[in-house]
Amino acid sequence: MSVGLYLLRRVGGLLLVLLVTSFLVFGLLYLAPGSPLAFILGPRGGTPEQIAAVTEQYHLNDPFFVRYAAWLGDILHGDLGYSIVYRQEVSTLISGRVPTTLVLVSMAALIIAVVGILAGTYAALRRGWGDQLTSTLAAIGLSTPSFVIGVALISVFAVTLGWFPTFGSGTGGVDTLYHLTLPAIALSVASAAYLARITRAAVLEESGREHVQTATVRGLSPQHIVRHHVLRNSLVPIVTVLGLTVATLIAGAVVVENVFALDGLGSLLVRAILQQDFAVVQAVILVLVVAFVVVNAIVDFLYTFIDPRIALGSRQ
Amino acid sequence: MFRRRITLTAAALAAASLALAGCTGQSTDQSDQATLSVDLDNLATTTEPGTAPVDEVKWNLPYEPMSLDPQFGYNYAENTATANLCESLLRMKADFSIEPGLASEVAQPDDTTVVYTIRDGVTFWDGTPLTVDDVVYSLDRQVGETATSYFSSYFQNVESVAATGPNQVTVKLTKPDVLFTQAMATAAGAIVQKAAAESQGEAFGTPDGGLQCTGPFSLEAWNSGKSIELAAYPDYWDGAPLVQKLSFSFIADESTAVNALRTGDVDGQYFYLPPAGLSQLANSDAVTTTYGDSLVFWTMMTTNFDGGLGDDRVRQALSLAIDREALTKVVFQGAGIPATTLAGPAYWGYEEEKFQQAWDGFSADPDIAKAKELVAEAGTVPPIVLAVQGSSAVHEQTANVIQAAGQAIGLDIQTKVIPVEQFGNLYFDPAAREGIDGFFTTQYGSFADPTDVYQMFASTDSHNYAGWDHADEDIFAARSETDDAARADHVIAAQQIITDELPWLPLAYEPVTLVQNNRISGATASFAYLYAPWAATLGGVE
Repeated sequence: MSVGLYLLRRVGGLLLVLLVTSFLVFGLLYLAPGSPLAFILGPRGGTPEQIAAVTEQYHLNDPFFVRYAAWLGDILHGDLGYSIVYRQEVSTLISGRVPTTLVLVSMAALIIAVVGILAGTYAALRRGWGDQLTSTLAAIGLSTPSFVIGVALISVFAVTLGWFPTFGSGTGGVDTLYHLTLPAIALSVASAAYLARITRAAVLEESGREHVQTATVRGLSPQHIVRHHVLRNSLVPIVTVLGLTVATLIAGAVVVENVFALDGLGSLLVRAILQQDFAVVQAVILVLVVAFVVVNAIVDFLYTFIDPRIALGSRQ
Repeated sequence: MFRRRITLTAAALAAASLALAGCTGQSTDQSDQATLSVDLDNLATTTEPGTAPVDEVKWNLPYEPMSLDPQFGYNYAENTATANLCESLLRMKADFSIEPGLASEVAQPDDTTVVYTIRDGVTFWDGTPLTVDDVVYSLDRQVGETATSYFSSYFQNVESVAATGPNQVTVKLTKPDVLFTQAMATAAGAIVQKAAAESQGEAFGTPDGGLQCTGPFSLEAWNSGKSIELAAYPDYWDGAPLVQKLSFSFIADESTAVNALRTGDVDGQYFYLPPAGLSQLANSDAVTTTYGDSLVFWTMMTTNFDGGLGDDRVRQALSLAIDREALTKVVFQGAGIPATTLAGPAYWGYEEEKFQQAWDGFSADPDIAKAKELVAEAGTVPPIVLAVQGSSAVHEQTANVIQAAGQAIGLDIQTKVIPVEQFGNLYFDPAAREGIDGFFTTQYGSFADPTDVYQMFASTDSHNYAGWDHADEDIFAARSETDDAARADHVIAAQQIITDELPWLPLAYEPVTLVQNNRISGATASFAYLYAPWAATLGGVE
């Protein structure tokens, strides 16, 4: 399949997925208990007259399809809508938070890829106590909640040693990278441990294959065998898992964002869901879906580089 | 330890932290609460004013404000920020007494007419002078049944607001209302620029729309999700502040906030409940912790009078079974005062002797034997379900104390955890209160008059979910009684009924916990920080 046709198919699929997702999310939110009234009327509540006026103003009692159609119409005009809880445009809310999330997730993805693949390969090739140690560390990493890791990182590297700031996303550029180092580590530990396990299994499986044994018998150097015969073939499952992990990191960052007081999409989404802030939930979910599809497309492209036998967009 | 002059409270704390300095191991075990020796009889109202100019002070808020428009600010983070931005007609001093603010004079020719003379020489941040039109606009937008102001209940008896002279605004009331007149010293009486508010509409007070007020600090920037930045207003009528830039962060996680204060990444914060890491702050050489006089109280509200808490005797028994002394030590780490009534001594802004005498008639001592008698009289009591706010140690620990107290006298008390973002729904969504008999909450009146607290029990008040109306007569009489002595009598009568029947259980009075980095000083220590410019006195320590 040509790249042009592939992209066309992807974009078409994306639009369909967005439509279905938005409908489902809107419906689920509509059925969920609670209302944004608490956040519009303030902590002291309101009189029945005030409640009625606000309900009228924001169409909170309109039928489901009327509200959904209104939202969809706005989206088609390029208007993401209005957050009734924050009394501001959703585009403002989101645009301020996208960079932070993007940098955080990219840094975490880099750490996950490097640490996960290196540790997994090391464990598979080393066997013995090196393998034991890596597997134990991976088990600990997998089972420790990210907020515990976050709090521990802050108390060691920010409070005791004073190497890093305790919170926040910095003022842009290098400062942001510096501020997001600890959060990225906290966010990546569990996924890196998981990827290390996957890598170890894939490498072990490939090492036992016939062509690898043939190469060994023919006296090729171990480095050459690992690089060209073992690792390259292991990359397909590794990249698949990495792609899926990175796509889920955005929403998974909520806990870490809270510990480090970061202005990310994850915490915005959770808050918006609990506050029944329809427009915000929809917009963040759309961003997540787009990110997910984009990451998947990148993984598809990577497959064709790793294994020339896989055609772009094929369903193998 | 401290290299500067400090307040009485801080001195007591310094002694405490010296005493604690021996145990360096940070205890992470929740059950091993280090109790601080807080001098609760001498709570601070101010801290030593700063004397040196400071380039920037970084302050933390417990969450990001929803809005900076004062009419939508009736909560800790919002008011902490707007107190320095938008000034009110009257100003609340640190000891809760009220002095002139943007109104240089107030006259009441009769009980239902209030005349405000607008101060000369006041300008908005854009340089335009404050006019009577701005004042009329700011008050008038909060009047009426469908007004969306969070303070609309204070305006329920306002008939009209009108300019009656070039520098005079007259408010006509349908009946005398001591809550309205005192609320003008809170954010309810904050004045915004009419032109800016009208042109921005709904965006006014949001990151999209900015703000225009007359306070000592102007709003420079609001980076949604990240920070709010204030700058000193050089032409402020009451003298420009020493702090050039005041920036707010929004660290919600308590342990991170405490760590940021310890490292100096943040210079200060007000905690309305003592944070779990309080002892770490008390032991820190970097910060000074001050406990301030407060109007906040911790209570258990009854929301369902048809269930297990419906019988007066059950609530009385539960109240008698609670060891409030232990509760303040365990839950508030010693930084709390056992409460016998809902409105404590901090509220006695007038007729102090009368209130003291009435208050002395109540006791916080537990009496298990009497409690058991009351439960026996009440007969079979169905299980009691209390809503507990998720991820809040204070809520969870209080629930444990109440459960234990209930167990001791044969009451079956269960808890239901509700996420913090949805907890607010309990306040006025009957569906959210379904199946719940009561919940815990911090509450406060806005100024030093117990009338403002007991007003919540008026059958017409939005706080009164279950329609409890046994003290209506005195509550309404108090609100429209302008004579202090006569009003105190009504308040005391209402307080007697409310404290006997216990629709809400008083649990503890909560001092303000103010933390400041040692390089600065001067922030208001009392609860007045919510409504008066607490950073105007803030400065560097030389």
